[in-house]
Amino acid sequence: MLRKTCARRVQGASHIRSGQPCQDGYMYMEYPDGTTILAVADGHGSKSCPFSGTGARVAVSVFCSVVGKLLDNFAGHPDLLMAYLNREGEIKIAQEIDREWKRRILKIHTESRDQESAQAVCRLYGTTLLGLLLTPQFLFAFQIGDGDIVQIDAAGAAPVIEAEKFLGTQTNSLCAADAWKKAVTVLHRFEEEETSPVLYLLSTDGFSNSHVSDASFGQTCREYYDTILEYGFDAVAASLKGWLAQTSELGCGDDITVALACFCPETACAENPPSPNAFSLVT
Amino acid sequence: MPEILNLRRPGGELASRPLHFIWAVDCSGSMDGEKIGTVNYAIQSVLPEMRQVAAENPHAQMLIRTLQFATGASWVTTDAVPVEDFAWDDLKAKGLTDMGKAFELLSEQLTIPPMSDRALPPVLVLLSDGQPTDDYKKSLQKLLSMPWGKKAVRIAISIGKDANDDVLAEFTGNKELVLQANNAAVLVDMIKWASTEVPKTVAAPPSKPREEEEDFPDPVMGRSSTGSVQRPDTGSGQGSVGKQKTPINVPPVPAPEDIDAGDVW
Repeated sequence: MLRKTCARRVQGASHIRSGQPCQDGYMYMEYPDGTTILAVADGHGSKSCPFSGTGARVAVSVFCSVVGKLLDNFAGHPDLLMAYLNREGEIKIAQEIDREWKRRILKIHTESRDQESAQAVCRLYGTTLLGLLLTPQFLFAFQIGDGDIVQIDAAGAAPVIEAEKFLGTQTNSLCAADAWKKAVTVLHRFEEEETSPVLYLLSTDGFSNSHVSDASFGQTCREYYDTILEYGFDAVAASLKGWLAQTSELGCGDDITVALACFCPETACAENPPSPNAFSLVT
Repeated sequence: MPEILNLRRPGGELASRPLHFIWAVDCSGSMDGEKIGTVNYAIQSVLPEMRQVAAENPHAQMLIRTLQFATGASWVTTDAVPVEDFAWDDLKAKGLTDMGKAFELLSEQLTIPPMSDRALPPVLVLLSDGQPTDDYKKSLQKLLSMPWGKKAVRIAISIGKDANDDVLAEFTGNKELVLQANNAAVLVDMIKWASTEVPKTVAAPPSKPREEEEDFPDPVMGRSSTGSVQRPDTGSGQGSVGKQKTPINVPPVPAPEDIDAGDVW
């Protein structure tokens, strides 16, 4: 399987106008066997969450660390890992992510600031978290708060996970007490070997909120896929930041972060090469 | 190094988020004369400032509508109109105070569709000088049970001493958001504040953790470049209610000379 991964974030157009920094975070990890971990997070940015940018960066790091440890612990036993995630994803894993995020936040905060109640401190760093583990055998998606995780292939774009959404500006958050209870997870086993390229897209809510409708957002996802096939992943990665800035400017003005992971079966790429530079073999 | 191509941005149609702003104006007989004249004047004169607010917040598309209620209720503007194109038609006052009918019409418009789920919280400004003459409770309950009814920023302007503030507080869900206007000058200020400061705040909202809003059930929680939404100055003795737990920062009471009091209604 050929794989390409990238992530970009942009300061929202309205944040540029008001002088607010980008409060999103992202991280991804690539393993030699094609296994990939991606995470994006959207710091709330409200007045009561002044350190939410830090909260978002800690959140993506926690997701990669917790899932990375699971990969180590279950190395060579993907079926066992899958069974574990299926059984414990929404409880134990979610609890561990919740606990570890709060532990790191409290450590960061008490190193530099006065002691306050733990809950009040965590609120200062409020953030969402979206994470995706892709292995050759299965995918595991995790989400607290708004944002989108989408799978795009030749058949079109479809959400990988349906998180609870609220009208207006509310979102579930890692800073809430018992935040893990709001986590939504999905485990999906790949039954058949993919015969066409597949793109996974994780985005903070500024991306979908910049579109006139869900259909328009789905069309964008599909066109990202088509553009990768036509011009190559690296060309898309090189242009992505500019596109996101334009999307924020013409859309809702919010910060936007997008992480992409594209997989192309070697046979498909050989028979119908997307472009000379589209994919490189992961070694 | 990969070749850097000048690629067109892929994707579907982009748009700023709709921000619906609705005036619901009591046009009953008791509003006849100076009161309705002041409302007409104030809204007419605040439109340029609203357009300015919209221009400064290009990521929100401000859409305006007016609803009048007297004996029955009706939309003055059939469809939501971008503030840039909106023109105010002077209202006339005659008849009863069928506020319940107004709530029914608002409820019909706060469903999805015609509202979008990606919209910003709508702003509803209710102006009244009396008490409902119809059974408003059921229709208000319906309005407040609608997803966008709950999330709307609901402001009431209580005109004169005969307005029923308890009913208006039922509508806003917060006594702090029932603004007192006992004379023409204050009414103009209130309309100006509700029509500019509130949309300014709603237009550039940060996201918020959900439990935060559960602590403060009122929807006005946003932040503008200048801070939280603040109630307008009303002059000494003009303030609506005492201190309550509210997300809105109540500013210090200004010097009475800040507002030309004029005759009290």
